[in-house]
Amino acid sequence: MANLILKNVSKTFGETEVIKAVNLEVSNGEFVVFVGPSGCGKSTLLRLITGLEEVTDGQIIIEDKDVTHLKPSKREVAMVFQSYALFPHLTVAENIGFGLKLAKVPKAEIVARVKEVASVLRVESLLARKPRQLSGGQRQRVAIGRSIIRQPKVFLFDEPLSNLDAALRVVMRIEITRLHQNLQATMIYVTHDQTEAMTLADRIVVLNEGRIEQVGAPLELYEKPANKFVAGFIGSPAMNFIKGTVETADERMFARLGPHVMEINKPDLKPGLAIEVGIRPEHIAIVAPEEGTLTAEVEIIEKLGVESMLYLKTEASQDLLTVRTDPRQTIRTGERLGLKLPVSECHFFDQKGNLV
Amino acid sequence: MVEQVATLPSSREFNPWPVVVFTCLLVLAGLFLAPTIGVILSSIKTTREIAEGGLWNIPTRLFLGNFVEVLANPAVHRYFLNTLLVTLPATAASIALGVLAGYVFAKLPFWGSNLIFLVLISGMFFPPQVILIPLFQFFNSLGLIDTLWPIIFIHTALGIPICTLLMRNFFATVPNSLREAAILEGANEFQVLTRVALPLSLPALAVLATLQFTWIWNDFLWPLIFTQSDEKRTIMVGIVNLKGQYSVAWGVQGALSLVASLPTLIVFLFFQRYFIKGMTMGAVKG
Ligand SMILES: Nc1ncnc2c1ncn2[C@@H]1O[C@H](COP(=O)(O)OP(=O)(O)O)[C@@H](O)[C@H]1O
Ligand SMILES: [Mg+2]
Repeated sequence: MANLILKNVSKTFGETEVIKAVNLEVSNGEFVVFVGPSGCGKSTLLRLITGLEEVTDGQIIIEDKDVTHLKPSKREVAMVFQSYALFPHLTVAENIGFGLKLAKVPKAEIVARVKEVASVLRVESLLARKPRQLSGGQRQRVAIGRSIIRQPKVFLFDEPLSNLDAALRVVMRIEITRLHQNLQATMIYVTHDQTEAMTLADRIVVLNEGRIEQVGAPLELYEKPANKFVAGFIGSPAMNFIKGTVETADERMFARLGPHVMEINKPDLKPGLAIEVGIRPEHIAIVAPEEGTLTAEVEIIEKLGVESMLYLKTEASQDLLTVRTDPRQTIRTGERLGLKLPVSECHFFDQKGNLV
Repeated sequence: MVEQVATLPSSREFNPWPVVVFTCLLVLAGLFLAPTIGVILSSIKTTREIAEGGLWNIPTRLFLGNFVEVLANPAVHRYFLNTLLVTLPATAASIALGVLAGYVFAKLPFWGSNLIFLVLISGMFFPPQVILIPLFQFFNSLGLIDTLWPIIFIHTALGIPICTLLMRNFFATVPNSLREAAILEGANEFQVLTRVALPLSLPALAVLATLQFTWIWNDFLWPLIFTQSDEKRTIMVGIVNLKGQYSVAWGVQGALSLVASLPTLIVFLFFQRYFIKGMTMGAVKG
């Protein structure tokens, strides 16, 4: 059953179209992550769902009810803001119970429910404090508490972890996953950080310039990106792209990459077509210089412990190629290597960035 | 004295500026305090002492008869009541209207709202003399001369620009996300104002309350123009009226001046503790 449906949702500010005919269905209990570069319209899309912004065109349906023109408070959605947006003059308990008090829920019930939520989020000992007396992570928990107490139909998170330091981010990420498992609630989570998206999501929606580029499970996007944008955005370090042209010889097809050629198995491509070959850092194999498709010189080595990153200069591409290797490799900077690009792991894109 | 300090051998370079600034401040403070001291001195002397020794003599004994006379005078009670009847509603109304207008300009701007805001603020720069005669004719035609109503209306209206300006600027510092969070929690715009924006704006409200109360309480011009009978006079006009009743009663006038300034002092002391910054601290970020 679909819990949230966006039908051709568009939003225009003045002359600029920020959201362009977005279609999406989110099922009950699903954890969906909107990911995309800064300014691509993630926050705007969330605000359209909450009703803080009115759609210019299209329809928003929550649990079979058309809420397109309903007021925010009537949509039964809750949002956790990037800035937490806690009320500084109220205590933690008053912050969490704010919505219930407005709804004129009896005092005793508010107290009981605030307690319950506080224990789920482990902030019981902080109930009497003001937000300024809390750490960043505690504020984040209180903000989440305020959103879950009214048991909304859809939870929305707008980059909730971006103000936290790296270590705390990992902790909170796990807590949010746990919260999702406990509540079994529909959650939509916005981030520009693809690692966060990959780790949290049931399904990722990749946005770019107000359009959905691809929707899919994390590994699906990683392994089968629909276009160059998704291929380059998902995955860290990013996929390598090498410009080339299609050539044929003796009934066989090749991609010319600078001075090198590699055989490809793409019978539908026309000779002379300009393409880009994408390959992930872990799929490039290192061989002896004379055995590789490409030859390369090691420029930088990053030793990360569990793996090492090699940044290689080649004649095929102006950008350095990234290769992920075993950390016990004895390769040194300046060394010449051969590189093999397994065709089965390569993604081919035309000049518009579409998969071919 | 200053030169002496300046020529003292010192390991650090002597900086004369603090001394100069401090001296200037002392002189200015003396100048500002002089009238108050004069009034206090005259209020604790008998008319005879003033006539013999002048205003600035330090009296040999404390004479409280002037205060007794002032506080026992039923006319003075009437003046106080009238002033309160003007000051409280006008202060409250101007702040309430400024809060509402300021909130709209800060948080709910609409097409042309900036222009309207500018027009409204420019009201601050009208000299009262320009609108005095038209206003008199207007209230005269309504039959409200020699009542307190014109004074209440005029002070409310004159207070709107400053109240709107201050509240708008203060509301602008309240993060938009707080308003949006409250709306998502089910608050309507009025609840956002009363439960979020206003509690965060106590410093601005305290400043305005003090400012408006003092300004309206101390006003002399408008009550002088719009009231005629002694029963309708406010305290500032009343101080002058006392002169007629008791030849030149410096002592009594001094005493009444002091008593008349007490409420503004009390209001200031009461609201002073809210003049604190950083109320929005901790609202956002970590
Ligand atoms: N109220 C607004 N008026 C005009 N432009 C806006 C408004 N809100 C957002 N935008 C524009 O819409 C685009 C998308 O913004 P946003 O949704 O905040 O991006 P993201 O959250 O993905 O970083 C940006 O270019 C931004 O400048
Ligand atoms: Mg954003």
